[in-house]
Amino acid sequence: MSVEVEVDENDLAEMVEQVWEAYLDPEGVSPLMQTYDEHQPSEVHSSVSITGSWSGHIVYASSLAAAKRAAAAFLAMELDEVSEEDISDTLGELANIVGGNVKAMLPPGAQLSLPQVVLAPESSARYPNTERISGVYGLWEGEPVSISMWQSSTNTKEEGA
Amino acid sequence: MTPMRAMVIDDSRAMRMILKRIVTKLSFEAVEAGDGKEALDLLADMTEVPELALIDWNMPNMNGLEFVMKVRSDPRLREMTLVMVTTESEQSQIVRALAAGAHEYVIKPFTEGAMIEKLALLGLVPTGANS
Repeated sequence: MSVEVEVDENDLAEMVEQVWEAYLDPEGVSPLMQTYDEHQPSEVHSSVSITGSWSGHIVYASSLAAAKRAAAAFLAMELDEVSEEDISDTLGELANIVGGNVKAMLPPGAQLSLPQVVLAPESSARYPNTERISGVYGLWEGEPVSISMWQSSTNTKEEGA
Repeated sequence: MTPMRAMVIDDSRAMRMILKRIVTKLSFEAVEAGDGKEALDLLADMTEVPELALIDWNMPNMNGLEFVMKVRSDPRLREMTLVMVTTESEQSQIVRALAAGAHEYVIKPFTEGAMIEKLALLGLVPTGANS
């Protein structure tokens, strides 16, 4: 099936803002400051895959410090109480929330996978035959955080078929 | 007076912790389950049925929609108030969940205030709990 993806940077930025408001920065004092630098480094990442009417991945990537801070905020813990499991659970849920909201903007028939978390840098090698089509890149209290959308090349091939 | 009980059903431990924090703040006693099947197993062993269940949609083993249908088909569980808490935000999915028997629908991400407001609409929040 051929689809025109209508989810752009502004849509992702709006979702990110909602996630920050709900879980990571409910007081509104430390928003994600956009850098627009898609090459910023990451140390950990999580993703969900979407299949069906559109195929691709939504990836949440950040430094370990930002991931730890996210877990502390999400789980209402002190930074020094955060475990690796807390980081993993939080990153998975963040990818799930953004992925679910992206899915809602796609044509009917899209399905969302359960999240996958990798405590290692994001790498395009992890998503073969995909291209990054959109993303929000920024610093959260000085630490890199990004949310990006990768489209499977099968979508492109189908469009040309 | 026996406290009201809430079942928090989500495969994400992080989300369970958030929901548990909210319902505990509202004086509920919280019970956790990682998927619909685990929740049904727990319910089968309970002598008193929880007043509320907060249910994710996408979970392994048994998803939230299947859980809602199972609960609605069991006369012993019919008094439970069922609230879907999910990223599934398409209108068609909301309609499916409500048609299956869910009472309310909360889309992730949600703020604590928004969740408490929904529960208040269902008459499950003591007066002044959100102030």
